[in-house]
Amino acid sequence: MTQVSIGSISDFPEATPTRVEADGTALCVIRVGDRIHAICDDCPHAEASLADGDFLAGDLEIECPLHGSAFNLVTGEPSEPPATEAVAVYAVTIDGDDVLVEV
Amino acid sequence: MSAETVLIVGAGTAGRSLALSLRRADFAGDIVLVSDEREVPYDRPPLSKSVVVGEVDAAGVTRPDRAAYAQDRVDLRLGVAVTAVDAAARTAQLSDGSMVTWTALALATGAAPRQLPIAGLDQPGVHRVTRLDEALALRDALVGGPKHLVIIGGGFIGMEVAAAAVKHGHRATVLEAAPEPLSRPLGLEVAERVLAWSRARGVEIRVGTAVEQVLGDGQPTGVRTAAGEELAAAVVVAAIGVAPRLDLARALGCAEAAGGIAVDAGLRTSIPDVYAIGDIAAYPSSYADEPLIRVEHVSVAIGHGQVAATQIARGEGAYDDLPTFWSDQGDVTLNVVGAPRADDTIVWRGDADAPVCTAFYLRAGRLRAALAANDTRTLRAARRLITAGVSPTPEQLADPTVALIELLPG
Ligand SMILES: Cc1cc2nc3c(=O)[nH]c(=O)nc-3n(C[C@H](O)[C@H](O)[C@H](O)COP(=O)(O)OP(=O)(O)OC[C@H]3O[C@@H](n4cnc5c(N)ncnc54)[C@H](O)[C@@H]3O)c2cc1C
Ligand code: FES
Repeated sequence: MTQVSIGSISDFPEATPTRVEADGTALCVIRVGDRIHAICDDCPHAEASLADGDFLAGDLEIECPLHGSAFNLVTGEPSEPPATEAVAVYAVTIDGDDVLVEV
Repeated sequence: MSAETVLIVGAGTAGRSLALSLRRADFAGDIVLVSDEREVPYDRPPLSKSVVVGEVDAAGVTRPDRAAYAQDRVDLRLGVAVTAVDAAARTAQLSDGSMVTWTALALATGAAPRQLPIAGLDQPGVHRVTRLDEALALRDALVGGPKHLVIIGGGFIGMEVAAAAVKHGHRATVLEAAPEPLSRPLGLEVAERVLAWSRARGVEIRVGTAVEQVLGDGQPTGVRTAAGEELAAAVVVAAIGVAPRLDLARALGCAEAAGGIAVDAGLRTSIPDVYAIGDIAAYPSSYADEPLIRVEHVSVAIGHGQVAATQIARGEGAYDDLPTFWSDQGDVTLNVVGAPRADDTIVWRGDADAPVCTAFYLRAGRLRAALAANDTRTLRAARRLITAGVSPTPEQLADPTVALIELLPG
């Protein structure tokens, strides 16, 4: 586990999923209020980048743009088919203005 | 030493799901998973979409890896067929000469390519994509510059191969014997749109064109149609559909329905302790009007495996999920929820030319199914409306300014 800086808070506009590379790992990063979440960007179902999907604020989920599986930002679990596997969830710490992810 | 043994015949989508769900359901007995394929179980959908054009390789479709079976203490036997089963003695004969004694038997034998009376169809150079080794062989045949493919069969799989090939610079001609391909699963009006999207992306589709002969002698050079026309092709692909493999179930005397093996919501066949899951299972669904339906799609196979696991482990669980499936045709992604019927009334929402749109299927005024094309937003609403049994009016469904999700109660 290493902590990697992925930018500053202002790089992550509210409720807008963004794809970020951290130490060779593709992450889907999103700011919700004063929290920043990071999950694996590759949909476990087929070939899609979750950062291209919609953020479902009510459920705190990211919806895959291809077949509509929705992944919880805290648990990584899908709530809708066709995906059956969870995505990895990465711990994010905010240090001043700096956003650090443990990958 | 436990006295219970689950024998799973077939390690496709359903068999794999069952094998890897049993420990989570606290099953402590032995699990034997037998596959007549050599490969560690893999995902079939990518074969016709990304594998044939080399976007994804064998490792990319093999999920999970072999270690997961060891971890769950699943005795995975690859390259071995179950050749006979005996319901009275509760034994099974395997092609390697061994015998397995079971306390529960799950048939997950899937579907095999249909045979059609087309001369020359069985020559070795004719490609198919139902198995990984076949898809890899087609991929290898497409290496080295643009090729012309003739694809026999305009079902989902044929259309997917065509779209993927065209996207990668090849020329693809789909020959379909029926006058209206895809109209059985989707209805005529929606099927016509789906074909139009493919054509707009460069796929040639000829309907009402039966193939009479595959030309060539080991290495196909083209096809001859029933009308006597000859089409030259570098690559010939047969995508003429599949039929469920029912021989073992029939030998056991399992009751049949809807072209498959009749099961209850717990995936139990008419024979005690014998289960049928996946493509072969005809199961009850509250999303269909028929008493039992058979669905050849991944999410159903996975759900069947999960429910059969809790049934075998502790006698509980019922499968009644909303049927869903997807089909990626180049840059058009179709997502279907519910069980559409060809005679349903269609209401469109969105831009059908783009396409970013959804077709809603209404039966007696009730919303029963939807096909979303590049439109996961409407898909989500459709899924929730259908599961909740809520039917907006046709005007609401068609009006993009109406937020469908807000029509849900609560
Ligand atoms: C190319 C292709 C693309 C597809 N795309 C999609 C898609 O996009 N979306 C979707 O939802 N569905 C798709 N499907 C359908 C989906 O893959 C199937 O519905 C699903 O795999 C069914 O699972 P199953 O376990 O019932 O059968 P299968 O996955 O077919 O597995 C059955 C297995 O049992 C083995 N077997 C049979 N008899 C025996 C025996 N006697 N002994 C040992 N082994 C035996 C077979 O060899 C096979 O490996 C696609 C299918 C194909 C072929
Ligand atoms: S690729 Fe994400 S749901 Fe299919």
